[in-house]
Amino acid sequence: MFNWISDHRADIAAILILALAASFIWSIIYGYKQSRRLAKEQVFGDPERTLGGWYWAVCGVSALMLVWFYYSWGMARAFFPTAANEVCQIAKIDEALSPVNASLPISSRYFKSTTLVVRNSQQLAQVEGALPQAVFSASERSELLAIIDASRSLISILSNEQYQDKAVVDGLDVIRLRLSDLKTQLDAGYAGLAPTAEALAQPRWGVDDTEIGLLPKTARGMMYDAVSAEAKQISDAFLKLRNLPDDAKQLIDQTKSRIDALKQANKAFSGSEDEVAARNSYVKSVERIFRRLDDGTIFPSTSLTGVNQAVISLYDSIADAKGGLSFVEAIFMPGGTVVKSKTLCVEQGSSRWLPKPTDVVAKFGRLASPDLESGGGFKGTTLLWWKWLEIADLVDFFIPDGLVDMLPGQYGTHNTDGEFDRTVKDRLLAFASGDVYLGAIPMLDGHIWDSMFRVIIAMMFGIVLGVPLGIFMGVSRFFKSFFDPLIELYRPVPPLAWAPLILTIFGIQDDGKIFLLFMVAFAIMVISARTGASGTQLSKIRAAHSLGATQRQIVRYVILPNALPEILTGVRISIGVCWGTLVAAEMLAGTTGIGFIENVARTVSDYELIWVTILIMGLLGLFFDLVVRKAIAILIPWRGKG
Amino acid sequence: MKKLIKGAVAAAVGLQCVAMASAVQAADSVNVAFFLEWATPNQIAKVDKVYDEAMGVDVNWTDFSTGVAMTEAMLAGDIDIAYSQGLAPFVTAIQQGAPLKMVGIAVVYEANDCFVKNDLGISSANASELEGKTVAVPLNTMADFSFRKQMAALDVDTSTMTIVDQAPPDGAVSLADGSVDMACIFGGASAKAAGEVGTPIMSSKEKSDAGIGSFDVVSVTEKFATENPDLVSTFLEVTEEANAAWKATPEQIRKVASDAGMDFTTTQNQMAGFVFPSVEEQTTKFFGNNGEAAAAAESLGAVFVKTNISNYKGSVGRAIDGSFLQ
Repeated sequence: MFNWISDHRADIAAILILALAASFIWSIIYGYKQSRRLAKEQVFGDPERTLGGWYWAVCGVSALMLVWFYYSWGMARAFFPTAANEVCQIAKIDEALSPVNASLPISSRYFKSTTLVVRNSQQLAQVEGALPQAVFSASERSELLAIIDASRSLISILSNEQYQDKAVVDGLDVIRLRLSDLKTQLDAGYAGLAPTAEALAQPRWGVDDTEIGLLPKTARGMMYDAVSAEAKQISDAFLKLRNLPDDAKQLIDQTKSRIDALKQANKAFSGSEDEVAARNSYVKSVERIFRRLDDGTIFPSTSLTGVNQAVISLYDSIADAKGGLSFVEAIFMPGGTVVKSKTLCVEQGSSRWLPKPTDVVAKFGRLASPDLESGGGFKGTTLLWWKWLEIADLVDFFIPDGLVDMLPGQYGTHNTDGEFDRTVKDRLLAFASGDVYLGAIPMLDGHIWDSMFRVIIAMMFGIVLGVPLGIFMGVSRFFKSFFDPLIELYRPVPPLAWAPLILTIFGIQDDGKIFLLFMVAFAIMVISARTGASGTQLSKIRAAHSLGATQRQIVRYVILPNALPEILTGVRISIGVCWGTLVAAEMLAGTTGIGFIENVARTVSDYELIWVTILIMGLLGLFFDLVVRKAIAILIPWRGKG
Repeated sequence: MKKLIKGAVAAAVGLQCVAMASAVQAADSVNVAFFLEWATPNQIAKVDKVYDEAMGVDVNWTDFSTGVAMTEAMLAGDIDIAYSQGLAPFVTAIQQGAPLKMVGIAVVYEANDCFVKNDLGISSANASELEGKTVAVPLNTMADFSFRKQMAALDVDTSTMTIVDQAPPDGAVSLADGSVDMACIFGGASAKAAGEVGTPIMSSKEKSDAGIGSFDVVSVTEKFATENPDLVSTFLEVTEEANAAWKATPEQIRKVASDAGMDFTTTQNQMAGFVFPSVEEQTTKFFGNNGEAAAAAESLGAVFVKTNISNYKGSVGRAIDGSFLQ
């Protein structure tokens, strides 16, 4: 079942996208109608009926999902499942031709030869100017200058087509002709081509780890694939061409032997260490420039124009042959392209860091599967499941083992038969350390539960300790002035700054993480309770007082209800901030939890996993928020009605 | 409504323009990624601008703190060559389908150590006592790889251990506190701190006998390698020359130290543990048939496999290319 869904995720996405588009349009129409009706209600009708507006939520969610589908190329995959494979074939041509393109003004502004000539001439001028007078003899200096001149004349020989070898000219012509043959092949179209069975057997786009299959799946792809194979051979032939006419070869041989002679002279030279170094480095830099020239990669610019024209018109034909594909590429594959690497084609652009919604759901499904043996869960723990919790483990948690040490008596030893005699104290220790069976209760388990548990416990402590303190600070001058500096001092410090301390104080167990979250929740709860309490109208307190209320009753029945709206808002805020701090808290010493998953996913750039954790945290935050909203509606129904 | 549509169209066009602008860039300079606090002899060549001179282009050096960030920058087209990228980030990048290539070995160094708390009395002789213990490991790093290799060599079942994901400084602290029994550490300062309270589970000799070592690689983007093979070879050549000229004289160390952003002794100590293989060594030992580069990358790939194991096809070896070494 799961595999079937996974294999057909593109089709499911197509249906989803259509449904989303429909609900987007419907919600706008419906919302527009409702707004007009409400405009009347607000003036003439019942104001209660003007509340609500869930259809705008539908509109917002579907718009968000559509944008997500669009920028993650989810739409392209759903409606044009072979498009990426075809673009991959074109990327193959790009890859094959890239050595040729690199030497033509296609992937840069100038011919590579032009760049080389300009760059090397500049450097020759620099080297000429930097000739050290002191360390070389006059004859050596003139020899060096002669070598630099020889390098210059080598550049001019290479740049002049008069000197060019006939073989090279013919070679370039053959390449030009082969490129125009390719163009003819492209212009002829792809009728009669059929993808191989092996290509069709490749997994669909994005279903496997290999995102996009390499082999062409369509007739058009077959054509591009054939062209790319031929293009590869052409560029290999192009790379073999070296512009080294006989005149140049002679000059190179001469200059080489002159440089070698200078090197010999350097070896024989005896002087101070600095002088030797200066001589060596200068000769080396002259030789370096020369060696960049002697490999024959500089061509006369006119000799390359034919090849350049052929490549440009070949690209025109590639674009023409795209047909509908160019439309798909431009509209549905925004912000990127398909890149071919050694073994596979991958999406590059927004779709790389923004995985498709269906892929994220599939990843979530795999993580959520409680079957750890068949690849479910993450790092040996389920996402959210249940397990039997032994009561003995709870006993172990609550009764410290040290308590048993303090009891009178001795621990047992092994006797002469090699058996262990258990004393009463041993049995007590076994009980205290949870080494007995006391039955088991079902308990939630998994990464999500661990994170939730930490947040809930931290919130509980935050509320139980923070609210009373806040209320006292609101009503009592002593509490306010005593605790104010303390709380205001630690509140602005980001939780991550505490992290190293907490690690040493609490160790790697849950308590440290809970304490970190608690500190965040506590400050917010104190401040909101205090604001609520101090905002109580004096007239209300006096009224209660004159009716005979005691101090305690005033706090309980007047001040607390007055502070409740502020407190519950504080709860909402601190839950949000707690989820935000969770990633930092679980970075301290990660074993389980959503933040732990995120931290691990980050180290391998697993974007799908990162998005799964982001969504889980977002949804859990939303869930908690909804719970608190419900609590607000029950506890303070008067809010916003006064 | 009309305004809204106009705005949306303008925003979409703007986004496309940004994407296009980043695709077109001048090819007249080479961008190289390196690590701070990771001393290598070629930093002398870097400071003296030998690379710029030999390659004939401007070489811009950018420092990174993690190998994963290097991969990201290379994919974004901001970096052409990553010098001394860790093997682990390189392999995970290849597994994600990144168009990168390993063209050389930058540094060979001893595998990262796992420190066992002294009072446990566990050494390589009774390593099986580690089963059931708690270990701090920075997951998906070379230290993680080294941990798994060492445990396999000592025949310890890691599935019985509680593995805690901790960055090296945190791991050292937890080891000192006794909240973990063993901590696997990389980085000089953290290793020193862990060494105060713990002992490496395997000695240097034991590690090299078991064939556990680490190396950093020189990786390039495939695009750069196909378009500028000459620049890649020149880069490796200059590196080779710098390595050959390395005599570890105080003057040289001082120069490297100031570029690496460390003090003299730390640099000296760090470099004492490094081997910079010559081109000949690299071609015969690492890049030849059944070379160490491919073997290590494959075994690392098997350890750090993505969540679904069944799909792993062992394609890392195809991203290794020794042809640029001359």
